[in-house]
Amino acid sequence: MEGRLANAWRLTVNDKNFIKTALLSEIRIDGRKPFEYRKISIKFGREDGSSEVQLGQTRVISIVTAQLVQPYRDRPKEGMLSIFTEFSPMADPSFEPGRPGELAVELGRIIDRGLRESRAVDTESLCILAGKFVWAVRIDIHILDNGGNLVDAANIAALASLLTFRRPECSLGGEDGQEVIVHPPEIREPLPLMVHHLPIAITFGFFNNESILLIDPTHNEEAVMNGRMTTTVNANGDICAIQKGGGEGVPQRVIMQCLQLATSKAASITKQIKDAVEAFNTERALRKIKRHPTSTGVDVREKQNQ
Amino acid sequence: MEVDREDGRSQNQLRPLACSRNILHRAHGSASWSQGDTKVLAAVYGPKAGTKKNENPEKACIEVIWKPKTGQIGKLEKEYEMILKRTLQSICILTVNPNTTTSVMIQVVNDDGALLPSAINAACMALVDAGIPMRHLAVSISCCVARSGVSGLVILDPTKLEEQKMKAFAYLVFPNSVHSVLPEGSPSVQGEPIENGIITSVTHGTMSVDDYFYCLERGRAASTKLSDFLRRNLQQQPTNSSKAG
Repeated sequence: MEGRLANAWRLTVNDKNFIKTALLSEIRIDGRKPFEYRKISIKFGREDGSSEVQLGQTRVISIVTAQLVQPYRDRPKEGMLSIFTEFSPMADPSFEPGRPGELAVELGRIIDRGLRESRAVDTESLCILAGKFVWAVRIDIHILDNGGNLVDAANIAALASLLTFRRPECSLGGEDGQEVIVHPPEIREPLPLMVHHLPIAITFGFFNNESILLIDPTHNEEAVMNGRMTTTVNANGDICAIQKGGGEGVPQRVIMQCLQLATSKAASITKQIKDAVEAFNTERALRKIKRHPTSTGVDVREKQNQ
Repeated sequence: MEVDREDGRSQNQLRPLACSRNILHRAHGSASWSQGDTKVLAAVYGPKAGTKKNENPEKACIEVIWKPKTGQIGKLEKEYEMILKRTLQSICILTVNPNTTTSVMIQVVNDDGALLPSAINAACMALVDAGIPMRHLAVSISCCVARSGVSGLVILDPTKLEEQKMKAFAYLVFPNSVHSVLPEGSPSVQGEPIENGIITSVTHGTMSVDDYFYCLERGRAASTKLSDFLRRNLQQQPTNSSKAG
C-alpha cells in the first residue's frame, strides 16, 4: 500500500543495474531480442476515423474529425491538418492534467512532421472552394496506458485512423456557385482522405555502452537509457524525419545501422496497418447492408410486488 | 401504448451491456463500460498522499478528471466531473484513508446517449478493481419521457438521437440491490430498503412531477437488473490485488 502513496514512479537502483547487465548479454527483461518489436494490435471503433492501437502494454486511441473552415490567406487552396496530443493522467501517475508537457508537445511535433512535411496526406484535395472553404482535419491522440515508446504507438494510431476516416461529400451550389452544400452520410457516401504513403516512426534507445542498441523500448528501459532517436521512414525507403534531441552522442555508423533497421521494420508495420484497415473496410461495407436488428437488450419489467 | 424505437427495442429494454476490468497496466484500477455504442473507459489511481487545498484533510478526497473524445475541455466536462465526484464521494468510505487523494480518470471513447450513467458505472467498476473501500456500488440508468400529456410513457436507455428528440430525460443513480444472508434482511432506512434511495438525479428538459416519479420507478426496476449484471461480472473476474506502484 505504501508504494501507492508516491506520485512519481521511480525505478530502483537494483532494477536499473539488472536491466543494463542483461542488455550487455543482449537479453531484454521482457524476453525480446534487441531489434524485435512488441506485438502490435490495431482495432477500430464503430465510427469512421477512430482507432485503438496496443503496442505491448502501451495503449493509444486516435480520433479524426473534420470541419469546414476558411483557409490561411497565404495558402488558399490547401486544407489543414492539426494534431492534438493528450497525455491523459490515466496513462502514468506522473502525467499531470492540463497543459501538455514537453513530452506531449514533442510527440505531437514528431507525428506532425512525419505527416505534413512528407506530404503523406494530400491537403490540396481538402479544398472545396479556393479561398473560402477548406476541410480542417483534426487528429486527437489520447494516451491511455504508458508502457513505453508512446511515439511509435501514437503514430500508428494516427495513421490507422486517417486511413479509415471518411469526410462528407460536398458540392457547390447556390446562385453563383459560391455556397457549399454538405451532404449527410445517409444521402451520399462519405469520401476517404487521400493518403499517398505511410510514414512510420521507429524509436531507438542508446546507452552509455556503445554496443547496446535497442528498438521499441518499454517504460522500464526508457528510465534506464541515456539517449533516444526516432526515425520516421516509409515502406519505399524514404526518410521522412529524424528526431534526436540531446542525450548520448552516437557515431555515424550506428545512425546508418538504425536507418537500415528502420526501413525493414517500416515495411512490416505498413503491411500490418494496411491489412487491418482493409478488414475494417470490408466489415463496414457489410454493415451497410440493412439487417433486422439483432440486439438482445435486457428486458426490464416493473416491480409487481412492492 | 407502444413507442417505435429505431433499433427495435421495446420501452423497457436496455442496450447490450459489456464491462471488462483490469485492462490498463499502469493504472491501479481500470474498467471499460459499454452500453450499445456508448463506450467509456475509467482508470483509478490511489490513494496518493495529501489532499488538495480546499479539501478536508480528515477525510479521503476523490478527484475526477473527465476527458472528452475530441475538443477542448469546457463547462460541460467540468459539470460531469462535479456530478461524478459527488456521487463517488457518497459511496466511498472516506474515513478509512484520511488525508489521501484518489484520482478517477474518465475517457469518453464513443458517445451515443447515456454518457454520464455509463461513466458512473465504469468509475464504480474501476474503483472496485483498484480495491478502494466502498459502502455499496452505484448503479446508474438513464430514462427519458417520450411525450407530453401521455403520462407513463417513459423509455429506458435512450440513444443520442432519442435524447435529442424527446421532451426530457433524467440520469438516475441508485445503490445496488442487496442479497442479504442476515436473518434481519438487507439494511433499511426508515422502513424502506436501502436500494430504494436515490444517490444522484440529473434531469434535462421539463417534465411533470408524475412523469418524474414514473421515471424513478422504472429506473429502480432497471437498477435491479443492472445490479445482477454487475454482480455476475464481478464474481467471474477476480480482482488482481497485487498492483503495486
